[in-house]
Amino acid sequence: MIRANNIYKQIGNATILKNISLEINKGEVSVLFGPSGSGKTSLCRNLALLDYPDKGEINILGNAYSFPANGKFKNLPYPKIGFVYQQLFLWPHLTNKQNILLALGKNAESRQEQFEELVELLEIKEIIERYPNEVSIGQKQRVAIARALILNPDFIFLDEITSALDIVQTKKIISLVETLRNKGVGVLIVTHNLEMFRKVADDMIFLNKGEVMEKGNDIFQNPKSKELKNFLG
Amino acid sequence: MLQDIFDIIIKHKDGFLKGLLVTFEICLIVWIIGLLLGTAIGYFISKNKVINRTVRVLSFVLSGIPVLVFLFWLHYPAQSFLDISVNPFYTAVFMLSLLNIIAVSEIVSNGVKNLPNQFLEVAKVCGINRKTTFFKIQLPLIARHIVPSLLTAQVNSLHLSLFASLISVEEIFRVSQRIISIEYKPVEIYTALGIFFLIVSLPVNGFAIYLKQKFGRRLDEK
Repeated sequence: MIRANNIYKQIGNATILKNISLEINKGEVSVLFGPSGSGKTSLCRNLALLDYPDKGEINILGNAYSFPANGKFKNLPYPKIGFVYQQLFLWPHLTNKQNILLALGKNAESRQEQFEELVELLEIKEIIERYPNEVSIGQKQRVAIARALILNPDFIFLDEITSALDIVQTKKIISLVETLRNKGVGVLIVTHNLEMFRKVADDMIFLNKGEVMEKGNDIFQNPKSKELKNFLG
Repeated sequence: MLQDIFDIIIKHKDGFLKGLLVTFEICLIVWIIGLLLGTAIGYFISKNKVINRTVRVLSFVLSGIPVLVFLFWLHYPAQSFLDISVNPFYTAVFMLSLLNIIAVSEIVSNGVKNLPNQFLEVAKVCGINRKTTFFKIQLPLIARHIVPSLLTAQVNSLHLSLFASLISVEEIFRVSQRIISIEYKPVEIYTALGIFFLIVSLPVNGFAIYLKQKFGRRLDEK
């Protein structure tokens, strides 16, 4: 489980995250949504410890991280947490296959079966030997997901990864998310595409101006706050 | 005219060859020192803001002084002030190396700083250790980005080596000037000199352009 307790984040004079407490569970799909600039990506990065909050505590798989941090943490939760960026950041000088296998190092050979399964599941066999710049954005996104999944993470964070995809490709990602959930992986999705992702969401988190305004799996049907009502139109 | 150029080269082949060897010797030392020290300094200053600023100020000031003047200062007033006498070859090598170090360190430092941090962050999230991250991700990505500029800087060093003639270094330009004073055929001799520099520079510059086109696209793809 990932649990955030009263986390705050400030950049300059702006408070990006205000008193956020939430939980993300293994085997569940959590969807984080909200207006642009509401702090979704910041929250995601803080929960994955890619950035540190100014105050509060984050507990990841039993390890507690308190803030403000005194120096660097030694037991960071990688690769137990996988993170797929909106811009993907595939290493452009490596082929798609090398991108996926680099982190395995010498274990790459022994994990060949899992690699092939992933390649089948994500339908990237045709492009596996090509470089990232030689494939479509949808294919790149699947390679980036494969790069995170080959490490068998307990949680995977997907930050706006379907923003450049068409409906067919988005449906493929949703189907993959369901597969991951069934395998016990906790998935946190940051998205604007609520219509598509709410169907698979076990939990929905509405973020507005750095605050969690509403949380739960029925907030779409019964929005309580004025902000969420306005957001849903 | 081609026949004239050819005749002069044959007639003074020993002088030209000697001059060429001195030019290559200067360049080789300047390239090695510049690339090694410049790369190390460039990588170091990219991580240290204070040193980075100091080197930038130094580079800014030096780039405002003509090479010719700088070389003259080093050879005459500086040595007179310090009461030392240094072989002009070493003075030229010192100055050209200094300029090359500054050029290379700036290219390397910019290359390190311009590499999107997320490429390294992804490596961290994937649990890749620092050594692998450096050798398999950071180094190749930075190299692909900076090698074309480094090659261009080395060609520039070759061109700057002509200024060594000012302080009596017997490099190719100095030899050419002496042959001109014997043969009175400056157009032919300077043309021959131009052809020599073209022969050396064009493949290097061409290779730099090729690398820029081949790898620039891949690194830009974020």
